[in-house]
Amino acid sequence: MMIVTDNFDDETESQVASKEKRTDEWSECLTLVGQNGDRAAFTRLFRHFAPLMKAFALSGSTLSANNADELVQEVMIKVWQKAGAYNAEKAAASTWIYTIARNSRTDLFRRLQKFDTPLSADDIAGSQESEEAFMMLHQKRGRDRIRTLISGLPSDQAQILAKVYMEGKSHSEVAGELDIPLGTVKSRVRLALQKLQIRFEE
Amino acid sequence: MSNAHPDLDLLTEYTAGSLPLTQSACISLHISQCTRCQRIAGQLADLGACLFEAQEPSTVGDAQLDAVLARLDEEPPLSYAKASKDIGNTPAVLQRLMRGDFSDLSWKNIGSALRISYLQTGDPQHELAIYHFKAGGRIPEHTHRGSEMTLILQGGFSDADGSYHKGDFLVRRQGDVHAPTALQSEDCICLVVLDAPLKFTDWKFRWMNPFLKLRTTA
Ligand SMILES: [Zn+2]
Repeated sequence: MMIVTDNFDDETESQVASKEKRTDEWSECLTLVGQNGDRAAFTRLFRHFAPLMKAFALSGSTLSANNADELVQEVMIKVWQKAGAYNAEKAAASTWIYTIARNSRTDLFRRLQKFDTPLSADDIAGSQESEEAFMMLHQKRGRDRIRTLISGLPSDQAQILAKVYMEGKSHSEVAGELDIPLGTVKSRVRLALQKLQIRFEE
Repeated sequence: MSNAHPDLDLLTEYTAGSLPLTQSACISLHISQCTRCQRIAGQLADLGACLFEAQEPSTVGDAQLDAVLARLDEEPPLSYAKASKDIGNTPAVLQRLMRGDFSDLSWKNIGSALRISYLQTGDPQHELAIYHFKAGGRIPEHTHRGSEMTLILQGGFSDADGSYHKGDFLVRRQGDVHAPTALQSEDCICLVVLDAPLKFTDWKFRWMNPFLKLRTTA
């Protein structure tokens, strides 16, 4: 059994707690959608997540506004259809929904490049969930920590993370675009992960 | 649990969704059997979600919402009811690329110790193949013109750097030379992703080099 130690002071703890509550709102909505087919809860999810999905679709990409709107529709319908499999104890709603948006965008890029494959991104990169109880607690704390620390990242590291995660660019694509060595991209990503206290070993 | 893992750069690109399909499939198969990498990938997915939520939202009108609400009664595509369990020796991800089990694949013999079966993925830049080494078989020394990812699905092998077992994930880079030998105890089956053909350096096998073109279709 792992002992998770936190070095947060009280103020940070309460900030974290208030953010937790907000996260729980979406997890509750998604659970209502999954269990009861609740359209009002789905509408709330739509109003929060659809504008984020559209921003994500347009982020650094060559997608047209039409493609972006189609992607938003496709992802929100997937959220509705797959919500029955969502378990709030295993994943935050935002991570679960982000994963679907990311995979759908990858599939859309491949379709637009006439890349014909029997595999969908959901087949190979679905949400990675763990069954272990201590992991869930550990992950929840990690998530709260990331939220708190992310605004303190130096701008060069934040910029690289945005290109890697929101624009979906590979490290070498980012290096090419910013005209910096690949090693610099990798080390900025690693420094950022360290600052966010992402843990690599037990 | 496995001792050889994808590095942090690969795990980051995997969770950000920027890896080629075949490499992503290989890494996801490793993660499905590695709690260490599950833990890291889970944190990295949470990071992606935090960045996603921190974006400046775009405008999405009520017409879009109405269009989605009108489509909620559509039947979900059949593909959502995908097979998610491994069948026999075939991991769930690979079931979409092959029929039956490893024994039902069509194989090409490369010397007496190795046979290869190429899987059709549609990825134009990478070859995804299953390598079957006979127990104790030695693979001729070869070098890599590009990068090679290997995931051990069964058995194990050793080379000058160490020995590797089921679930282990390895990357060889351009210019690395090695001559792996399958463990004596059982046949070794690996999933291999190549972005350029191998090149045999062992003189007895050099004649095969012109035949080792990258196969992105079976
Ligand atoms: Zn691992």
